[in-house]
Amino acid sequence: MGRTLPSATQVFMQEEAAFARFRRALRRTDQLALDDLFVSARQHLAAAQYASHALPFEVFLLAMLLEEHKEVLRLKERVEDILSRQK
Amino acid sequence: MTETISGWLFDIYPNETNLTLWLIGEDGKRHRFVQDFAATIYAAGSSARLRALWRWLKAQAVPVHLSRLERKDVFQGMVAVLAAEVLQPVKLDEIFRSMVAAFPDLTYYDADISLPLRYAAAFGVFPLARCRLEVRDETVVSMTALDTPWDLEPVPAPLRILSLEPDCDPAHGEPKAIIVSYERVRYSLPLEKRVPLLINLGADLRRYDPDLILTSWGDTWLMPLLMELCKESGSMLPLNRDESQSVVERKEHTYFSYGQIVYRGRQVQLRGRWHLDRHNAMLWSDYGMEGVLEMARVTCQPVQDAARLSPGTGISSMQFVTALQKGILIPWHKHQAETPKTAMDLLRADMGGMVYQPTVGLHRDVGGIDFVSMYPGIMVRFNISPEVPRAGTDLEPAPGEPGIVPITLAPLLNKRLALKSALLTLHRWDCRRPGYQALASAHKWLLVTCFGYLGYKNARFGRIEAHEAVTAYGREALLRAKEAAEDLDYEILHMYVDGLWVHKEGCKTPADFEALLADITERTGLPISLDGVYRWVVFLPSRLDERVPVPNRYFGVFQDGSIKVRGIEARRRDTAPFIAETQMAIMEILAKAEDAEHLKEVYPQALAFAHREMQALRAGSVPVEKLLVSQKLSRELGEYSSPSPVARAVRQLEEAGKAVRPGQRVRFLYTRGRPGVRAWDAPEQPDPRCVDVKRYQTLLKRAVETVLAPIGQSVDGGKDDECRYLFPVKIAEPLGEGGTQRLDFLSISKVNNFVNGGG
Repeated sequence: MGRTLPSATQVFMQEEAAFARFRRALRRTDQLALDDLFVSARQHLAAAQYASHALPFEVFLLAMLLEEHKEVLRLKERVEDILSRQK
Repeated sequence: MTETISGWLFDIYPNETNLTLWLIGEDGKRHRFVQDFAATIYAAGSSARLRALWRWLKAQAVPVHLSRLERKDVFQGMVAVLAAEVLQPVKLDEIFRSMVAAFPDLTYYDADISLPLRYAAAFGVFPLARCRLEVRDETVVSMTALDTPWDLEPVPAPLRILSLEPDCDPAHGEPKAIIVSYERVRYSLPLEKRVPLLINLGADLRRYDPDLILTSWGDTWLMPLLMELCKESGSMLPLNRDESQSVVERKEHTYFSYGQIVYRGRQVQLRGRWHLDRHNAMLWSDYGMEGVLEMARVTCQPVQDAARLSPGTGISSMQFVTALQKGILIPWHKHQAETPKTAMDLLRADMGGMVYQPTVGLHRDVGGIDFVSMYPGIMVRFNISPEVPRAGTDLEPAPGEPGIVPITLAPLLNKRLALKSALLTLHRWDCRRPGYQALASAHKWLLVTCFGYLGYKNARFGRIEAHEAVTAYGREALLRAKEAAEDLDYEILHMYVDGLWVHKEGCKTPADFEALLADITERTGLPISLDGVYRWVVFLPSRLDERVPVPNRYFGVFQDGSIKVRGIEARRRDTAPFIAETQMAIMEILAKAEDAEHLKEVYPQALAFAHREMQALRAGSVPVEKLLVSQKLSRELGEYSSPSPVARAVRQLEEAGKAVRPGQRVRFLYTRGRPGVRAWDAPEQPDPRCVDVKRYQTLLKRAVETVLAPIGQSVDGGKDDECRYLFPVKIAEPLGEGGTQRLDFLSISKVNNFVNGGG
């Protein structure tokens, strides 16, 4: 309403749609993993909007990476926990 | 001989030569006076053209007083103007129209400001202001205001109210009688006996002489009918108290506002008396009579207009009065364009408030924190106004004199803050509470729209840069609040423009959040308050993808047991009452649990209740009225490419000869077979057997799942070491650290079983 520029949510949906052909050519299992990546980027739309970066997809990639890293940290903690219990 | 009279200012309007003024005297009498009043229009342009205008005005039949002055234009600084004081206010519009036709190239100011607003600015009065008049021969010679619109408890005017309503909704059925009531009198007048009806009603109007005729469907049906009956029988009904004036009628219209189409019905306004129609008053259901009077007091619009105007017009009126009082010119047409911006500027500036994705799931002991009237607060505190230059987003007030927007808003905002703090301390059953709440909600609408009007290009004191500045300060303040909360080890669950939801282990009472509130106020300079501490609150995911959270869709229960829901079915105006009521009843059962741990005790009750309601629906024991869906027609019927249910219902109405305009609400039932809907206001009553029970079952199932699925998931989840919350989720993995659960709707076997098995 009354905006000159699309919001982060609109840009995000355009970017996701732009990868429709890429997604279609992936194996089903890979498709589902790709969807997860987009879902994780979506968690940070507010921050992407605030960043007002000229190339929004870079911000979305970083957001995906951020969620991946959080997952790595969480798993690392669990592995250490399990290892320490085995000792 | 001069006499002094005190009382409440009731109404002002122009007559043939000057103004008519009505006063409710402290002696209980209704007085009519006249007063001389001049209205000024300003014109700016080249000296030669202004000289020509001077000569032209001198030659007109209407008496005018002319002078050359310098006045302040908000966008251009001081400008030389020709001031034309029109001494016969009723001629103002007429003379201005011919002026524009003769001199279209000049810039005009203060041209289309209504007389009541000019009068309010000149004397510092407003509708129902207590004032003292000095009167000589029925003519007011001086006027002194004795109170201001900002008093919390003004002395109420002793209004006489007579209510008129038909015995049924005229859109739905054929009314047989009109019910008249005032004080302890209540009787009904059959519509078919027309002459006795007019005689009886006329006698009562004369005897009781009401100040206000309060009607249902008076604008659209009742008043036009009464006037028609008078014309037919040649009799006179004293609807107006001022017999020299005729009743004022305005046509219906439809307009577009805030992304929604709005319909305003036709209006019938009285002179010397007020007519208010409960069904054609803006937001009557929100704030009622007290709110309407408050709206009139603070905006200075006459009561009959204030009841029917949008809050946007209200806030403009307040700005106009400020401008008139400060000698600031009000442009007739605004010529201010947006200043050029680079793409990067646009990218940074063209943003709204910050809206975060909430952490989906059930959370307990959550503090809901709100900035109090954030945007108006920002405008007042940081002096944001179209004419005030701004420096950066540093949360520093702009230097210089306060601008027109903050000057106008400050007293309104202070009154709202005073009301809010009074409400916090008043006892739950204090008789002042409902009144205060009505006032607070009237103010709320004015304050909400003042922000929109700052960015509206047609608003006389609007400027997009000022609008963008407000959101920029808002984002900065919210981020500072987030940083303050995180520095104090709170977990941020959700943030939404001017509010945040936070959790910290051990913080359960309002006192626990005080340090955080103080820190946020310190960092932002804006007032912040604790909306309440939730026993538990559920943030919901999107319907389309349960992994995706949606902002501002949640429900929860505060510590005092009160319920807050946003964005779910019960809040939507197009939900059938049966479904909304069932959802709220479920919430009330859940609210009986004294904390999240006890939810598992009430959950089976809630489930059983939902099951019973589903049975009732299937057995056809739900009254048809409770299944009515009410939706707005969003465009002309011909513009629908594939007709929506509401469009199909409208087609039925049109076939029955009832016209529906875009923006009007239409009530209908879902029925079996084609066309799938049945308009409620169509002539034949629908057969209860044709109700599309399956469809309502689906709708009910969805509404029940919205609230019970997340609760059920928590209850069934059992203990989980990883989660410091009581009810973790079986299949799902946490999204954030600790207390966050992801919902998985597939795992909620109980709810699904109940709906599929039972339905």
